[in-house]
Amino acid sequence: MTLRLVRLAALVAMLVSGLSLQAAAHAILIDSTPKPDGTMPAGHQTLSFHYNSRIDHKRSRLTLVGPSAKPMVLRQSTHAEANALDAEVDLAPGHYTLRWQALALDGHITRGDVPFSVAAGAH
Amino acid sequence: MSLLVDLFGYLSIVLHGLTIVAQSMTLGGVLFLVLLARPFAHRLAEGDAILRGATRITLYSAVAMTVVEILGNGLQVAVLMQTVDLPFLDVMQANFAVAALVKVACAALIVLLLATRGAPDRATGLVLLALGAVELAAATMTTHAAARLQPSLLLLAVEWLHQLGAAIWIGGIPCFVLALARVQDGAGWRLVGARFSRLSMAGVGCILLSGTTMFIVYIGSLPAFYGTAFGVMVGAKIAMFGMLLALGAANFLVTERLRRDPRASVVRMKRFAEVEIGIGFSIFFAAASLTSVPPAVDLTQDRVTWQEILQRNAPVWPRLASPDHDALAIPELQAQLDREAQQHHQAVSPASVPGDGVLPPRNAEDIAWSEYNHHWAGLFVILIGGLALLSQASARRPWLRWARHWPLVFIGLALFLLLRSDPEVWPLGDEDFMAAFRDVEVLQHRIFVVLILVFALFEWAVRTGRLRSQRAALVFPLMVAAGGALLLTHSHQIANVKDAMLIELTHTPLAIAGIAAGWARWLELRLPGKGSRIAGWTWPLCFVLVGVILLWYREA
Repeated sequence: MTLRLVRLAALVAMLVSGLSLQAAAHAILIDSTPKPDGTMPAGHQTLSFHYNSRIDHKRSRLTLVGPSAKPMVLRQSTHAEANALDAEVDLAPGHYTLRWQALALDGHITRGDVPFSVAAGAH
Repeated sequence: MSLLVDLFGYLSIVLHGLTIVAQSMTLGGVLFLVLLARPFAHRLAEGDAILRGATRITLYSAVAMTVVEILGNGLQVAVLMQTVDLPFLDVMQANFAVAALVKVACAALIVLLLATRGAPDRATGLVLLALGAVELAAATMTTHAAARLQPSLLLLAVEWLHQLGAAIWIGGIPCFVLALARVQDGAGWRLVGARFSRLSMAGVGCILLSGTTMFIVYIGSLPAFYGTAFGVMVGAKIAMFGMLLALGAANFLVTERLRRDPRASVVRMKRFAEVEIGIGFSIFFAAASLTSVPPAVDLTQDRVTWQEILQRNAPVWPRLASPDHDALAIPELQAQLDREAQQHHQAVSPASVPGDGVLPPRNAEDIAWSEYNHHWAGLFVILIGGLALLSQASARRPWLRWARHWPLVFIGLALFLLLRSDPEVWPLGDEDFMAAFRDVEVLQHRIFVVLILVFALFEWAVRTGRLRSQRAALVFPLMVAAGGALLLTHSHQIANVKDAMLIELTHTPLAIAGIAAGWARWLELRLPGKGSRIAGWTWPLCFVLVGVILLWYREA
């Protein structure tokens, strides 16, 4: 529905003047561990997210939403590459969503979700 | 605050577009003052008036730049503080915030200098140039080049040069228009025209050199050019750049004619320069939009192929029958929730909450609904263009005078959009009409509807002689052109997902046709004689073209 509405709004914007909603999208995720809709083994794991631009690590955020649905802000690794956000976390089996927000060095904020599963008994 | 975060993506692009406009006008004004107005102050009878006028334009532009920089970056800082939970001083140490502080400081100093010292002398001119150069360097730190994986001073220099070229040429045009209006004789027009032509050529040179380099670095291949949002937006910029070059070349010819005959008319040069401002500012909005998408070269997946473009745009008969409302994704989900609630004797959950919640995936009927809306909107617009053409013809055929009521067709379009844009909202859907104002998109649709109604009635009043002010007649072309420019900022709803990209391929020509229609109507009103007549037939044809593109529109 969202796309449909925005497209129709855009049509009207052509005819008159006005607003339309959009999400800024500069830094894009080019690789990640876990992959979107992927599976990881349970236990202590490193989550890693690589972007196409250099990232301001201190002003970016990784939030993990686990089976309890309670969001947990992850402590980022200080050794991540210039274009990556890394974090270590203990994972129990279940479905998770990693919510990332990256501030690229040119000042653009991008957000995204990486849903993934953690398999039971796979240490 | 959550509303601010939701709106942030769009607002930041509009504010960025305004920032580029203000920055270019400020720097273009400084360059015009130093390189044209001051040297000619004693050579032209109207030299002092031009100097004072250009100083005023530059001063106001610098004030505007200070304001929009503070607003845009204030918004960014507020969103970061909210979403990353950092204190103000910490966020202010981010690269973009430091760059913003430098830009605001430079703009404020330019304001201070011009406000306190008036028209600049030689020393003040040099300080203004230095402040402009520093401001531009700070602005470069918020371009794509600043975040590339391999930091490159050369690429930063290229981005700096690109902005400089835009400032020299497009940013200087408002001062040029002012100078043309002040000067009263052919020799003066030739002097001003020839100097500004040379400045413009330098600006065009900067843009061509830097633009070509960035095309190679950021796009790099033909498939990336036509298959990504970044490439398509660059294509739109190139198309509008071509329009500007054509207008600039026409102005250059007028300057040459003045060399031979000082009594030659400069009306065309003045009017074309006005249109150059409008198209130039549209390019700035496209540029603002570009900064928010990843460079095409970085998108190795999800590019649209040539075959997919051909397949999507193969001619198909328009969808003139609406799908059943109950088959749309939200009503279907609502029906399912109703059944489940009834089975479990629970309260019914709403399938969608205005301004909140995750929406169900679109189904085939949703796509059909949207195509139907676009196709009927296309018929409305074709009717508007057709009636406007008949209205043009009524100058020689009085029996066609009834066609001058064509703006009233917009009312039909507005009501159609009000009814069809939000099928989940009353009267078609279950959502309360007033509660739906919480949904940002619904709110936008309603603003559009009101705007259409207002400008349709406005233009109708002009056409039927109820409003006789010449300025009132300019409202319609300005709004159409502004709408086209804003459509360019719309184009990145989803980061290059193929479907969104295929839709952009349709909407970008719509935007350009809208911009062309608006400025053609402007020329019809502002030019005398044959030029006005040609422009008068051009803009309704642009409307017909928009209608045809909408009829062609497909989502699957």
